[in-house]
Amino acid sequence: MPPPAATNLGYTPPDGGWGWAVVFGAFISIGFSYAFPKSLTIYFKEIQEYFSVSYSQIAWVSSVMLASMYAGGPISSMLVNRYGSRPVVLAGGIMVCTGMVLASFGTSIIHLYLCVGVIGGFGLAFNLQPALTIIGTYFQAKRPLANGLAMTGSPVVLFTLAPLNQFLFDSFGWRGSFLILGSIVMNCCVAGALMRPVNKRVKPKPTNESPKCNGGAEEAETVNTGTPPANLLNEESQTASKGQSNVHKLIDISLFKHRGFLIYLAGNVIMFFGFFAPVVFLAPYAKHLGIDEYSAAFLLSIFALVDMFIRPATGFIGNTKWVRPRIQYFFSFAVSYNGVCHLLCPLASGYLGLVVYAVFFGLAFGMLSALLFEVLMDLVGANRFSSAVGLVTIIECGPVLLGPPLSGALVDIFGDYKYMYYACGVFMLAPGIFFFIMHYYNYKKLDEEQRQSVATEMKTSEETVKLKMNQDEKRVDGTDG
Amino acid sequence: MTCMSTFCVFLHLFLLTSEASSSTQPPLAPITPLKTDVRSIKIELVNPVNLTLECTWTGNQNKLPNITSYWTKDGEEIQNSQLSVQFHNGQYNIKQVQHFVSIVSRSFPSVPQIGEVRDKPIISYMGDSAVLTCKMDDKKPKPNTWNWYRHNGTEKEQINVTVEPHRYEIKNKEEKTETRLVVNNLTEADSGLYSCGAVYAIGTTMSHVELKVIAFMEPLKPFIVIMVEVVVLVAAILLYEKSQSKKKVTTGS
Repeated sequence: MPPPAATNLGYTPPDGGWGWAVVFGAFISIGFSYAFPKSLTIYFKEIQEYFSVSYSQIAWVSSVMLASMYAGGPISSMLVNRYGSRPVVLAGGIMVCTGMVLASFGTSIIHLYLCVGVIGGFGLAFNLQPALTIIGTYFQAKRPLANGLAMTGSPVVLFTLAPLNQFLFDSFGWRGSFLILGSIVMNCCVAGALMRPVNKRVKPKPTNESPKCNGGAEEAETVNTGTPPANLLNEESQTASKGQSNVHKLIDISLFKHRGFLIYLAGNVIMFFGFFAPVVFLAPYAKHLGIDEYSAAFLLSIFALVDMFIRPATGFIGNTKWVRPRIQYFFSFAVSYNGVCHLLCPLASGYLGLVVYAVFFGLAFGMLSALLFEVLMDLVGANRFSSAVGLVTIIECGPVLLGPPLSGALVDIFGDYKYMYYACGVFMLAPGIFFFIMHYYNYKKLDEEQRQSVATEMKTSEETVKLKMNQDEKRVDGTDG
Repeated sequence: MTCMSTFCVFLHLFLLTSEASSSTQPPLAPITPLKTDVRSIKIELVNPVNLTLECTWTGNQNKLPNITSYWTKDGEEIQNSQLSVQFHNGQYNIKQVQHFVSIVSRSFPSVPQIGEVRDKPIISYMGDSAVLTCKMDDKKPKPNTWNWYRHNGTEKEQINVTVEPHRYEIKNKEEKTETRLVVNNLTEADSGLYSCGAVYAIGTTMSHVELKVIAFMEPLKPFIVIMVEVVVLVAAILLYEKSQSKKKVTTGS
């Protein structure tokens, strides 16, 4: 399998074995991180009446939770860099549980902002980052598939939590439900327990990782069987040790000089303005067109179902040998496809049109979500991924929070949803095209750099072989004489 | 309009709205003539009105027999509604006289909505307070006031705030479209059916909701069960990992 454009890890990821248990753990953590805030909205009406507040005040709980989740990204990254994924996820699970239990005794809406919003949000941040990071440590060859499977957690957990929350609400009211949800969310600790730190003592296999100098590599191997990486692999070990010193730094700010990272960041910031709003407004738009409440809710179910199946499928496709080397194009396609979908949405007429839109949107959303973190890993490499994702989430905080209210404002100003869809379409299509162009340029640069590094390695390997031959001759001469 | 006999009957409804304010002549608003096959119409009333039902016999005046007509309500004859109509003599074929029963359903403004439209009870906890809200649709007429009732067995008694001010609070919105009943310091005895009534001049419309008060132990049980499950799973996974690493150490690298 052709290697992706990333730095070497310094060890061979298992690409299986316990890795699949880790994927399952990540599935749970990621699922709770994304689905938990969305599923709490069921309780809002009753809490709103209980505390006698307006709807926007209650909606702040969701916003504070989301903001904390994204703002907690860098802190989460620092902790993962220092302690590894497992302790952070365990801590995160306990934090969310504590937040929910405290909230169930809440006496004011501020109480809820703090407990559910801040504590809960940070706890979820401590679940999301480590889960994504640990996949990169366990998988290399099958990483897109692993990422796709892990990201499927979000729709699956949402699908399960929604009816469960309704049941809890009917049986226990909002206080009891918060208490029980606190215990349910402790299952993130189970997920954390599964995230065993990967065994890094396995020696790297040159044939898998080093590029084209096959001849030199084999010779080096036969000469040095027991010792660690030979002279040929000097460069790799150098990058590996550099990577490890980065790991011990708190957070890798040098990423801001990384070309791929900057491309990803720039595109994502624009893209997130139009990312979540269409999901939020799907049901209201349907009701606006005169569709009844249950059919509108059914649209969301269709969307979630399609999303659920397309994520692992996308991961699988991303893993194939045709797509993997140029996976950035696949991502650019997914982003652009989202944009086109939204631009065409106003053309959908009637319920059937909206069903078609929901299916296509589900496809688009799932594809994008499955690849979202895989392409970042592909760009910066698994070593720096933890810091990268922390920086990305805190910068994305702004668009994620501003997107839905801005779209809502658009709807209010024009009284029509189609302008909002046009705006979201543009906000996704533009980054998509941007990605295509920039990644074409980036791939060319990377290929150039690759060729240069191969050339220098060939030169150094020739020189070292010559040197060794000279040394051997001298020794032979010495013993003879 | 089809005639059942040689006589055609037109039925007119006249609505005389009685205005509380001074008005010289109450407006006469004829509602469209009812066809013979129309059996009922629905009118939404807020304030009491004077309703006039008029039954007119038309046809050939010269050929009408002596007919007595009367009004019925719900099948029973209304007293003093008999009217004799004198006609000329002659031979006539009288087919069946239809009961032109025009039933005007006495309809109140639609029933108020309690909180979210749900037939499930509202759950609250002992020692906590419960908030029951009753909303009247903005588009419908606004009630004059609101009343709250507590059902005790088969009887209904109105909740009087002044009797126990720290237990019950009734807060009405300015525009009278919403009312809120707060029950403080809940006990198990507070469980049951509550009703809110929207009071109009014409009457009161009611909605019901059930309040269930449970102890805090109730949700605590599933909470503890799930926590135990989590602890067991985490312990199992970590123990498994320990045993695996021990095996590796004993078998050697």
